[in-house]
Amino acid sequence: MPTRPVRTNSRPKQRPPEQHRSEDDPRIMLDREVSADLYEPIPPYPTRTEREAEFYTIGDGEMFLNLGPQHPATHGVLRLVLKLSGEQIVDVDPVLGYLHRGVEKICENSDYYHVIDQVDPLEYASALFQEWAAVLAFEKLMDVEVPPRAEYIRVLSAELLRISSHTLFMGFLALDMGGLTPILYSFIERDEIVEMLAALTGARMLFNYFRIGGVNGDLNHEFMSRLGDWMSRAAKQTEANTGLLNENEIFVRRARGVGVMDREMALRFGVTGGNLRASGVPFDVRRAHPYSVYPQLDFNVPTRLEGDSLARYLIRMDEVRESIKIIDQCLNNMPDGPVMAKLPRLLRPHPGRAWGAVEGPRGMLGVYAISDGTDQPFRFRIHDPSFMNLEVVPHLLPGNLLADTMAIVSSLDPIMGGIDK
Amino acid sequence: MAVGDRPTKRAGEDAAATAAGAATETKAAASQLAPITTGELTAPIVVPNTLWQAVNPLAYDGGRPAEITHLREFGLTDAGRHDDGRWGGLQVIPTQADNILDLIRANSLWPLLSGLACCAFEMMSAATSKNDMDRWGMFPFRASPRQSDVLIVAGTLTTKMAGPLVRLWEEMPEPKWCVALGDCTVSGGRYKRSYSTVQGIDRVMPVDVYIPGCPPRPEGLIYGMMQLGQLVKDQRGHWPEREIGPTVPDKI
Ligand code: SF4
Repeated sequence: MPTRPVRTNSRPKQRPPEQHRSEDDPRIMLDREVSADLYEPIPPYPTRTEREAEFYTIGDGEMFLNLGPQHPATHGVLRLVLKLSGEQIVDVDPVLGYLHRGVEKICENSDYYHVIDQVDPLEYASALFQEWAAVLAFEKLMDVEVPPRAEYIRVLSAELLRISSHTLFMGFLALDMGGLTPILYSFIERDEIVEMLAALTGARMLFNYFRIGGVNGDLNHEFMSRLGDWMSRAAKQTEANTGLLNENEIFVRRARGVGVMDREMALRFGVTGGNLRASGVPFDVRRAHPYSVYPQLDFNVPTRLEGDSLARYLIRMDEVRESIKIIDQCLNNMPDGPVMAKLPRLLRPHPGRAWGAVEGPRGMLGVYAISDGTDQPFRFRIHDPSFMNLEVVPHLLPGNLLADTMAIVSSLDPIMGGIDK
Repeated sequence: MAVGDRPTKRAGEDAAATAAGAATETKAAASQLAPITTGELTAPIVVPNTLWQAVNPLAYDGGRPAEITHLREFGLTDAGRHDDGRWGGLQVIPTQADNILDLIRANSLWPLLSGLACCAFEMMSAATSKNDMDRWGMFPFRASPRQSDVLIVAGTLTTKMAGPLVRLWEEMPEPKWCVALGDCTVSGGRYKRSYSTVQGIDRVMPVDVYIPGCPPRPEGLIYGMMQLGQLVKDQRGHWPEREIGPTVPDKI
């Protein structure tokens, strides 16, 4: 039976005696006896599936390369075990779970108000969308009517965050391909947007701003003045930023034609968001399953046919332009009125189930909540788009060169918080 | 007594009772830590979390015993067992020159580029245009632990990531410092109730500066790094008196 490369945690049998602190005086170290059984090596990790056995069988001239979990370009703690033949990738085994924090379980032990705070760190580059999905599901569960002003504020703040997330994506994509400049520009935009949202919500990243039945707090003066300043130059700045990469011949040549995901593959794996639209499927939750006030807003769903890294990048830049349009309309159409529906302090929805999905920057972010009539959700399931998007990696990478790994993985824009939950 | 167990007996018990207790505990721990066989892979693995102890056991967690976690493999390594001096294990002796060199180090702290979760975004924000950390010599991040002085642990440390992270820490050359960025790394933060996170990284490595916040603002990180610089200056030339931590683990 083929075995994995052995990771021995064994230690030599002859060891210096263990020490422990004296109970009377913690400064004194005492030797202690240790049972010999403890030094038995942990057996090599047995392969569990056929696929695993096949992957960890090494062929002629092949080698393994471990990319991550600590790697400057893996967007957190993604680990990819690559099987290489020379420079060419033969096979990939993604190893997840380095950021598994048990959020779903924590949510099931929190009351409905608390869940909104707990889901924030999942999609941490754009936390409002994750809140929105949860809030949407809960509102369906409880049949809550959201005031129109709250809906507009939600759209406004979320679209701002979409711009921030896509701009960061641009920076990271360039960084992973070796260009340092774009990330400096994208962080200027991102810092401005999060400071603006901090004026509105009180936090820079994990906002905890949406509430079941509305939002926590109305628009304020500082937010509006910052937003006005930023909107006056947003479109121009976006063009300038995208110009950094669109007109960079090295970037375009490296990104064009690598990691081509065709329509069938994208649909089969449940890929959503910009990655799906870059493969020619015009699916956008905002249009396909409208929620909030999106039906009243005028925006396009940009779509491309190539399905390669460059198309995925260009789609997101198009979406930034659409988002600026949406923000403009929100500001023009913003109605007056309350921002919260009237709700009891303790929420106990009737037993039932609800699915709420929003279009996040990375695709369809869904939450499936089951209520059993208590003040805590019985089941709280999070559907994260990054996970679905990452699933295609083992099918996109083989055949490419090692240097293209990051051009492909990065163009899918994974966020490990959501993938590992 | 189980390997690396913190002494949990209260004062007042007589020596014989302690010895007997230790013997039974050894047995229990041995059966608990028996090598897993193929069929048992799905069973949860629960061992005492005894990776690193503070100099003063009372300083952390009110002196209560470490909680149970899943760090079985890591617990079997040297880092999990030993409690050598942070410097003693490496035989590093500061010289008179270090009185001067530490002044230089304090003004040129190079962090390792290692982001674990959300806090990493604020760390990058601190390093880029708006809050340019480079102004204080905290040079933009090094990709290799061999080239870095400071490990900024930015984000939630899960039990699965604990081994690789400690290994990174051990790969960094002395002198080195560790900054815990964010509530998750300081104490567990919002994941205090989680089954899969390490409740504060000071359970696996020594920490010099704690920066609370979820996430801390970039200014918070810069302030913490400046405090670290001050700490380095204050302690210059006195390395052996610093807090102790794990030795170099043989294999993680
Ligand atoms: S402290 Fe907060 S922001 Fe930082 S990693 Fe933990 S959850 Fe994320």
